[in-house]
Amino acid sequence: MVAYLADIWRLRYFWSSLVRIDLRNRYRRSVLGIGWSLLHPILMTAVLCAVFCPLFRIDYRQFAPYLLAGLAFWNFLVTTSTNGCHCFFQGEAYIRQQAAPLVIYPLRTVLGTAIHGLAAMSVVLIFTWCMNGFGNLPALISLVPSLTLIFLLGWSLALCFGITNVIFQDTQHLTEVLFQILFYLTPVMYPSKLLAERRMDWLVRYNPLASFLELVRVPILEGQLPPWSAFATALGTVLVLMTAGAIAVSRLERRLIFYL
Amino acid sequence: MALIDLDKVGLTFRVRTYGRITFKEYLVKGMFRRRATQTMEVRALDDITLRLGEGDRIGIIGANGAGKSTLLRVLAGVYQPTAGRRTVVGKIASLFEITLGFEMEANGWENIGFRGYFQGETPRTLRDKVAQIAEFSELGDFLNMPLRYYSAGMLVRLAFSIATTIQPEILIVDEVLSAGDLAFQCKARARIEQLFDHARLVVMVSHDLQSIASLCNRVILLDHGRIRQIGPAAQVIATYEQQAHAPELKAA
Repeated sequence: MVAYLADIWRLRYFWSSLVRIDLRNRYRRSVLGIGWSLLHPILMTAVLCAVFCPLFRIDYRQFAPYLLAGLAFWNFLVTTSTNGCHCFFQGEAYIRQQAAPLVIYPLRTVLGTAIHGLAAMSVVLIFTWCMNGFGNLPALISLVPSLTLIFLLGWSLALCFGITNVIFQDTQHLTEVLFQILFYLTPVMYPSKLLAERRMDWLVRYNPLASFLELVRVPILEGQLPPWSAFATALGTVLVLMTAGAIAVSRLERRLIFYL
Repeated sequence: MALIDLDKVGLTFRVRTYGRITFKEYLVKGMFRRRATQTMEVRALDDITLRLGEGDRIGIIGANGAGKSTLLRVLAGVYQPTAGRRTVVGKIASLFEITLGFEMEANGWENIGFRGYFQGETPRTLRDKVAQIAEFSELGDFLNMPLRYYSAGMLVRLAFSIATTIQPEILIVDEVLSAGDLAFQCKARARIEQLFDHARLVVMVSHDLQSIASLCNRVILLDHGRIRQIGPAAQVIATYEQQAHAPELKAA
């Protein structure tokens, strides 16, 4: 275990330079560059605000940051999972060249998406700051462990989806459908209070993804520490996924190459 | 200290015989049988016992499909044997299908970085080597260009230069002497000879029997995944040539 982690660390220059080249390739010959990943949630928010603010009778000052924060998390989750499906095929040439810890390939994926996610998060912060003033500092500091949890969530998801996709190639399509469905089952673009009014709050209560959203939204929008229950649910989810990933890796570490 | 020890190693690939299965088949077979995809087993290596130590220069020869490259990959630790045990002491560098594992959108300098870091270099240890690699590859200004625009020969030059500048304890090479144009081949051969002098243990696969004879002190002849003969170069090469000409003799 320790030797395995040391191996990942030993190769840190390798995967970090791959992340850098991935970022550059994605916006090769693009004028806006990383601006696209900032512009995308902003445009979505503008449109959704125009439609839903009158519909739900909510103030856009509340709803716009709510949407932005939700979309930042959701985009990270979806791109990490869908890109994660391809992570081992993307690294196939390296896997065939030399034995290295398999988890560095999903790590490459999640680091790339996390950088975009952080950019989107800073947009949320700045936007909220401009609209509603600077928030509560201790609450904002709680974002550090929360974002770390979200990063680990992404890493283990990319790993699990990556491995599943190598063995069962329909996973990539299933993933897209799955997240499309989850998008509507998770309070990303509608206020979760609306569910409580209609006695549908079980949807949020039993959805671990809603807890991650709370971890992001509560400190930014309400200036308060997120509830412990949300933190516990998120931590539990991450631990379960990490264990699943670790078991899969320990069983397939040396055999995955035969499925590629 | 460099040592490779294979004890009764076998490797069986499971190959999916056809790529597509319909959903109906998947359901039906999944319900009534354990395995839905039909697989074919290929026994690539069988009962290989080898003990290679300090100072060995091993050549592996054999017909196409005899398991040469698979054996190299087992030695390098890329493939885990499905039977037997593999023990390796020492830092390994391997040189397989030479153009594999390049980032085509990145330029030559960056790819030197990727390859180097992948083999465990750090920016500090790599710094001195980058100039050497660039010089040996003779690619000059092309190194500033994305690899997408390289010719096959240029890719080979770059890969060869990177892999051979990093000095490993155990060197594993697969068919690299035919790299590049004639001038580069001479240079490459000299470089390989120099590497053979420095590495503690070398294993190479080649169809170039002359270089095998001149570079290696022990040669392994593989036949259908088994070791047919192992011994001094001249003797094993003679067996191999006999084997290759056998069908002709039969016909005559």
